[in-house]
Amino acid sequence: MEHTAVSKYTISFGLSLALSSVLNALLVVAKEKSQVVTAGMQKITGHQWVTHVAIILILFVLLGWLFARANHGQGPKLAVNRLTGIVVAGIVAGGLIITGFYWVAD
Amino acid sequence: MNEIILMFHVLFGVGCIVTTVWLFVDVLHASEANLNRIRWLSRAAAAFMWLAFLIGGYWYVIFYAADKAIILKGPWPFAHRFFMETKEHLVIMLLLLVTYLPIAASNNLAANQEARRLVLWLTAVIALLGLMIEGHGAIIAMGVKVALLAGQH
Repeated sequence: MEHTAVSKYTISFGLSLALSSVLNALLVVAKEKSQVVTAGMQKITGHQWVTHVAIILILFVLLGWLFARANHGQGPKLAVNRLTGIVVAGIVAGGLIITGFYWVAD
Repeated sequence: MNEIILMFHVLFGVGCIVTTVWLFVDVLHASEANLNRIRWLSRAAAAFMWLAFLIGGYWYVIFYAADKAIILKGPWPFAHRFFMETKEHLVIMLLLLVTYLPIAASNNLAANQEARRLVLWLTAVIALLGLMIEGHGAIIAMGVKVALLAGQH
């Protein structure tokens, strides 16, 4: 018989991956559009890109952990095929925002 | 020494791509016999990418400013303005993808077609994004080269 269940972390960190990818792209836009944001990020670690990476990695772990605690600790209920669609959509959206932004900016 | 650091950055990046393609093929033929190898390959792909990222990140923070200045004065300023700018941010998504890969590959892929499809999508995206980022790196290096060559004439 075919199994369709996956671990709660597969779902929670998959959702976190999709969301973090989009947030990564939005942070790029915020950083490039606002000197204040860039200067603030520069101040935190000494390099704006290092701060950017740290923010996104912390968000990824935090969101994955929070999603896993949802639904009384069982994690979100979601079909795996739907999760796959969300993950791919998040990655494509993030990639398009970043590429499109620099394409227009250059 | 800086160039050696950069070569290891590329080497581990290629290691991640090759491992991911191998993983893709193994997942296509997932069975109880290769489940263990699939899990180890997913961890190896993540380890290669993290090494490439840490080495490249160190080089970028410490040494890239000099290359950037050369590129921007040369005939290929887009090598920085477009290719480096997109590379340094797309690579964060790649890092998230490879970190997630072992989590997705920890499920029973031999018995679960939907989980198998998820890992196939992940590996395909990682390999394609990895290749694209390798290409970006080549264009950035060429941006430095054409700038230095232009400066000789």
